[in-house]
Amino acid sequence: MSPEELPEILPDEKPDAALVARIAAAVAGGARPVRPAPAAGRMVVALLSALAATSAAGGAALGFFGVELLGRGAVALIFPALAGFALLAAVASVNAMRPGSRRLFRPAILMAAGCAALAAVFFLIFRDYTLGRFVPQGLVCLRAGLVWSAPTGLAVWLLLRRGYAVDRAAAGLAAGTFAGLGGLAVLELHCANFRVWHIVSWHLAVVPLSALAGWAAAYFFGSKRRAAELMQ
Amino acid sequence: MQPSPEVEELMVRYQQGDGAASTALIERLSPQLYRFFLAQVVSRRYADDLLQETWLRVHQARHTWRAGEPLLPWLYALARHVRVDHYRKARRVEDRERQVEELPEKSAVPAPERWPDVERMLRELPESQREVLLMLKVSGMSIEEVARATGSSAGSVKQKAHRAYEKLRRWYES
Repeated sequence: MSPEELPEILPDEKPDAALVARIAAAVAGGARPVRPAPAAGRMVVALLSALAATSAAGGAALGFFGVELLGRGAVALIFPALAGFALLAAVASVNAMRPGSRRLFRPAILMAAGCAALAAVFFLIFRDYTLGRFVPQGLVCLRAGLVWSAPTGLAVWLLLRRGYAVDRAAAGLAAGTFAGLGGLAVLELHCANFRVWHIVSWHLAVVPLSALAGWAAAYFFGSKRRAAELMQ
Repeated sequence: MQPSPEVEELMVRYQQGDGAASTALIERLSPQLYRFFLAQVVSRRYADDLLQETWLRVHQARHTWRAGEPLLPWLYALARHVRVDHYRKARRVEDRERQVEELPEKSAVPAPERWPDVERMLRELPESQREVLLMLKVSGMSIEEVARATGSSAGSVKQKAHRAYEKLRRWYES
């Protein structure tokens, strides 16, 4: 047997004609015009614009103390790295909301690899390994980062709500990662604490925590929908 | 086996609210979807349910397909998740029934109604390999289309298909 013979070997069973007619009648009855979702490229640009806008708003609200004290070299390394990570997360978020899209990477792997890359950039730039007031200052940054992730998360939801996630957990994780990058960008613009462990621990933690929140939200709403289906 | 561009045209008209186009699309694509479900671990009755559920999801998500993109990966991405969701739901129902009625012999996926050798061999394959093989050889999709439908890479699809062919050949020759 060769693989080419498989279609011939398998019995050519067809669905019941009455069933197909019933499905077709039900679908035709509800066939109203729909506006196709925008092209993936446009959605990615919209997401990145939303992230830039919320980051700028966050920086303006809290003060651009961090970016003012950073050297040009550090700025030239940190923000392009953040932008690259955000671009990949935006692509992953858009693809997760479109059935049959190319999946270039799994959202969980993207989140882990992106955080590791950013950590490497931070280790390369900053040299102060002292801890200082590690926990109190860290909690302030973590809270601010998570708070400023929320507007980006809201923008993601607004832009992608017309999508259709076949894998809700992956879609939630990708969207949460993207939202977390909004919070991280605000912290890099605002925070003037350049201790390595502070940045690598508390700033970067915003991304996985936000991703986790996105995943949990997707799981929760998915469970509610499944429960509703079970009750039918 | 490959759908002609006409299928994509029908989908565009369906998005525009043309009921006749949706009917034509369902009539054209239902046989291959049905075969896809039937060749997996479900009976005829469950294949009917999955077919209905798939078209319901297609209807809900029809705006997410864009003209110019291949239709089959989009359709099969929905279909395979219908199957996965159905499997999970069946397991939950089965668990509840077990708790209440203590009927361990009652299975959510009933015994198959027909077991030709090839189907039995297909059932022996790991789910991911069987799915790839059916999409490639029964639904006539390309490797790239299968990769899109399953959310994996083309390399992974090739590898799964190769392993599935090897196993089928071995079983068939033994």
